[in-house]
Amino acid sequence: MIRRSRRSALAAAIAAAALVLSACGAGGRPAEGSGGEGASAAVGITDTSVKIGAHFPLTGVAAPGYSEIPTGAKAYFDFVNAAGGVNGRKIDYVFRDDAYNPTQTSQVVNELVLQDQVFALLSGLGTPTHSAVLDYLNSEGVPDLFVSSGSLLWDQPAKNPQTFGWQPDYEIEGKIVGQYVAQNFPQAKVGLFLQDDDFGRDGELGARRYLDAQIVGAERYTPGNTDVAPQIAALQAAGADLVIGFNVPSYTALSQLQSLRLNYRPQWIYSNVGSDPGLVGSLLARFSQGAVTDAGLLDGVITTEYLPGVDTPDNPWTQMFQRVWNEHGGDGELTNYRIYGMSQAYTFVQALQAAGPNPTRQSLVQAVERAGAQFQGPWVAPFRFSADRHAGISGVEVTRITGGKTESLTPVLVTDNGDAPITQSASRPTTPPANGIPAVPVAG
Amino acid sequence: MQQFLNVTLTGLGQGAVYAAFALALVLIWRSTRIVNFAQGAMAMFTTYLALTVIEGGQSYWVGLAVALVAGLVLGAVVERLVIRPVEGGPELNAVIVTLGLFVALQALAAILFGSTFRSFPAPFDLRGFSVGGINVAFTANSIYTIGAVVVVMVALVALFRFTDLGLKMRAAAFSQEVSRLLGVPVGRMLTLGWALAAVVGSLSGLLIAGGSLVFPAYMDAVIVYGFVAAVLGGLDSPGGAVVGGLTIGLLLSYVSGYLGSELVALAALAILVAVLLVRPQGLFARTAARRV
Repeated sequence: MIRRSRRSALAAAIAAAALVLSACGAGGRPAEGSGGEGASAAVGITDTSVKIGAHFPLTGVAAPGYSEIPTGAKAYFDFVNAAGGVNGRKIDYVFRDDAYNPTQTSQVVNELVLQDQVFALLSGLGTPTHSAVLDYLNSEGVPDLFVSSGSLLWDQPAKNPQTFGWQPDYEIEGKIVGQYVAQNFPQAKVGLFLQDDDFGRDGELGARRYLDAQIVGAERYTPGNTDVAPQIAALQAAGADLVIGFNVPSYTALSQLQSLRLNYRPQWIYSNVGSDPGLVGSLLARFSQGAVTDAGLLDGVITTEYLPGVDTPDNPWTQMFQRVWNEHGGDGELTNYRIYGMSQAYTFVQALQAAGPNPTRQSLVQAVERAGAQFQGPWVAPFRFSADRHAGISGVEVTRITGGKTESLTPVLVTDNGDAPITQSASRPTTPPANGIPAVPVAG
Repeated sequence: MQQFLNVTLTGLGQGAVYAAFALALVLIWRSTRIVNFAQGAMAMFTTYLALTVIEGGQSYWVGLAVALVAGLVLGAVVERLVIRPVEGGPELNAVIVTLGLFVALQALAAILFGSTFRSFPAPFDLRGFSVGGINVAFTANSIYTIGAVVVVMVALVALFRFTDLGLKMRAAAFSQEVSRLLGVPVGRMLTLGWALAAVVGSLSGLLIAGGSLVFPAYMDAVIVYGFVAAVLGGLDSPGGAVVGGLTIGLLLSYVSGYLGSELVALAALAILVAVLLVRPQGLFARTAARRV
């Protein structure tokens, strides 16, 4: 008896230890290199090359979709390099896997800065992951351009002078979606389905500005816990007939599956992050063929867009990216995630051109501050870059998914954080340069 | 009320899966006195095999059969090749080896099958029933899940309680030397115990995957909650494992539904600690000295 209970206690202690270990994430190699010369202007750049680094989840829960972004960026840089590079410099793009684990992000960014000696960081992905290296990059003076996340954290130029956002932040997306719902569904009882971090919080902040009176429930899920049944049941119980989701793509699939289980059919609105029809559709396709017969669970879902997608093959930007992918891409098709990566790479080439023939880390940052608001590209609304602001794209359009494609419900709407009004965008759709490479003058 | 009903039913469905997993742990514990931390990874691996078969155009049931047979073979092979060499040493050795196996299998699955999310088909309808205008979070697929777990539990109880084989397996686990003297083929019994446990584990892996998404780490949460369920029920009792599994499923569903989903893992740990403090032998284990 004593022996037995000691055994199970021992086993239980091991289980508890395993719980703690899994919560901490894998430990790993200590940071290598002795560093120290990080602030030097000449790091990572020569007369013939410039080296930039990035961290992405290439494995793990966040890898579907997101792991395609760096392949898109790489294809575009190869395309530019094949045409001679920028001011005679070939772009050497290094991306490393952090598995969406902040501990690993710190490690790989350390490696990128100290060992690979990158000139700048480009489009590191994720709010929790990139937050972990924000202070480090800024204290080392490494330009931290165009973070792949819509958190408001990247727009703090006084505190983080090296860091710039890129995509529309979740607050302005929430505002635009909120206003659209208030105008078009004034009777709706609105439920919110939120990721329990900055993503959900910023989105909720924006949506509540227009919808506070209509919201009947806000449910949060913890990333990693795939059981969203209680959250969806609570939204149903609250009587929500329109649900706005600020969640990642796999949770779009999970929330749709769960609603099916509950016979719950509200009007769904997903933020741009969680709505990629290609990815979510491939996750849900099997269920719509088998037991579930009504094809296309995502049909009729409302979302937002700020880049052209693969569903619009006639768009000149899509055509250009398709050409780049055909010439320099790897395995697989062009996807919206690859277009995202290429668009970021396109922005970076503009920044490098604006920094002049002999860029330094400092002049690169200044060039984005001075010229960034005028950069033109596939994005639907301009960046909000200036000496006082490091915020990304200023607007989105509201769209609806029908038959795997999207149709516009509104013109491009632009706004800013806080109580800035939402207005129709004045800028016209742009077309890509004939050779596919931007030509930005040196920022004065 | 509707919310309470749905949270409860969802909890029962989840609980059935934890119960199946706890059953597999109990089975190995009863037949070899080892807690198998690789159980989840083994189940994940056989589920991927089933998915490969199903994606190759076969039906769900062929996939199920392949997974169960693969589980049987995998369990036997693991016992013979990996566990046998460390048996007889300090009791921690075998447990640590299973932890290593867990990591290795997960990495191997990521290499072979990729680490992206993939959807796994369900054999039955995923739409909830509608009773008198009230929607119930209970699907044909959840009935199948619970039914499968009940059948397996009954079969295991029958095996251990009413058959010669079951008696031999318990004897081999409890006292190898005495059993050997009495003519029990101990080595074979241990292998059989592992093989059967791996079959039950594979079944739980498939039941969890059905109508949801799989990736190499999808069993991780189930491992932890299934273990808590097994400890709650007493590591020794199949019935306890099922009751423990359903209890954990319900409790965690209430925590997630009424308190917040971020507290689920914490609640599981709290339950584990509470059980070990108050009743370390589990709720259902007999406290009397063991008779074989």
